[in-house]
Amino acid sequence: MFVCGYHFPASEGNDVSFDKVIEKVNEGIDAAGKTVTLTSETREGVQLETLEVPANTFAHTAFVDYYTNTQIPSKDDSKMVYYTNKYQISEISKSVDGDITKDLCKKLDDMNLYRVTVA
Amino acid sequence: MSELRQIAFYGKGGIGKSTTSQNTLAAMCHYYGKKILIVGCDPKADSTRLILHEKAQSTIMQLASEAGTVEDLELEDVCKPGADEFHPDNTDITEGYIMCTESGGPEPGVGCAGRGVITAINFLEEEGAYDDELDFVSYDVLGDVVCGGFAMPIREGKAQEIYIVMSGEMMAMYAANNISKGILKYANTGGVRLAGLVCNARMTDKEYDLAKNLATQIGTQMIHFVPRSNHVQRAELRRMTVVEFAPNSEQAMEYKELARKIIENDLKVIPAPLEMDDLENLLMEFGLDEEVEEDAIGKKAEDA
Repeated sequence: MFVCGYHFPASEGNDVSFDKVIEKVNEGIDAAGKTVTLTSETREGVQLETLEVPANTFAHTAFVDYYTNTQIPSKDDSKMVYYTNKYQISEISKSVDGDITKDLCKKLDDMNLYRVTVA
Repeated sequence: MSELRQIAFYGKGGIGKSTTSQNTLAAMCHYYGKKILIVGCDPKADSTRLILHEKAQSTIMQLASEAGTVEDLELEDVCKPGADEFHPDNTDITEGYIMCTESGGPEPGVGCAGRGVITAINFLEEEGAYDDELDFVSYDVLGDVVCGGFAMPIREGKAQEIYIVMSGEMMAMYAANNISKGILKYANTGGVRLAGLVCNARMTDKEYDLAKNLATQIGTQMIHFVPRSNHVQRAELRRMTVVEFAPNSEQAMEYKELARKIIENDLKVIPAPLEMDDLENLLMEFGLDEEVEEDAIGKKAEDA
């Protein structure tokens, strides 16, 4: 199955543990010192708000990983975030990052499109 | 050369199954160079129009009726190459191509659609449409009716890998669960497997949670959440897929990602469909922001 864009072989079943996903996301990614910014917009393209992802969290590493490894054209140095991925990042972050990303995850669970920038 | 994979998109009528399948197959061709044959198995015969840039293709059943019998037809009569970049001779954008055919069905209220489907598939096989060059054959099947006819691609062991297009709405989930029951019935005899749910989002509350949990409970994966986009409608008005109309758009990227996952997917399972009560419980647990007490069932909003 696929979580955060990564393929987990069928032998691992249809409910891959968060630990395995976190391990995969962390592989080869050094997110330290990076600033991760998200912007949200409506389906009509109206920009809503800008959010900073708290450092030293799974969400932070996952967005750095997404920005670094996802083969998708960037626009003004930002990349759109696949809806599937934003929901999956939110789901795992709620579980492992707790209150630090609680507000961010609530926003990620909405129906808006997000773009990520890493600086 | 890789082995031919026979996949099918099932889903309730109106869920966006043909739009999803055509855009995904277009992405598999456009971005990944795959060679594909689409076999439309919906009496509406709308499974190929975006690839062909046509209103609706003449179906095998229509043409057979005009010619006398299906034996009077030639493969070229019923199997058309996709338009522009999807044509086998056009390699400007991709080495891949898409061939298109529609089985068609009986007049409304008369006969069995399944018979048309299996007649069409047998004809295509006998005439050599499933050639060695193809990477994928894709069946697009109407599946909200619990009718054995629509299970033909599964029953006859043609489609091996099923993707169910659904949304977070009750009836779409009900249909997805029913299709799983159909797969389960033929899984041991025909080798068909459920390969994933594709959530063609209606953008309702907690839709991802609902789709993901339904998938997990029936033993599969929610392989991709496809958001709603006006680009899809704009492209459809031009009888095009988004992938061809706006290949760098966000929506095209979503289909590209779904295409990648289908190409790499190896999670193919015998599903474990839910009982109706469990399905309702799932909707209650994930589908609504507020809990509904037992004594509120059947009460109007102003009385609640």
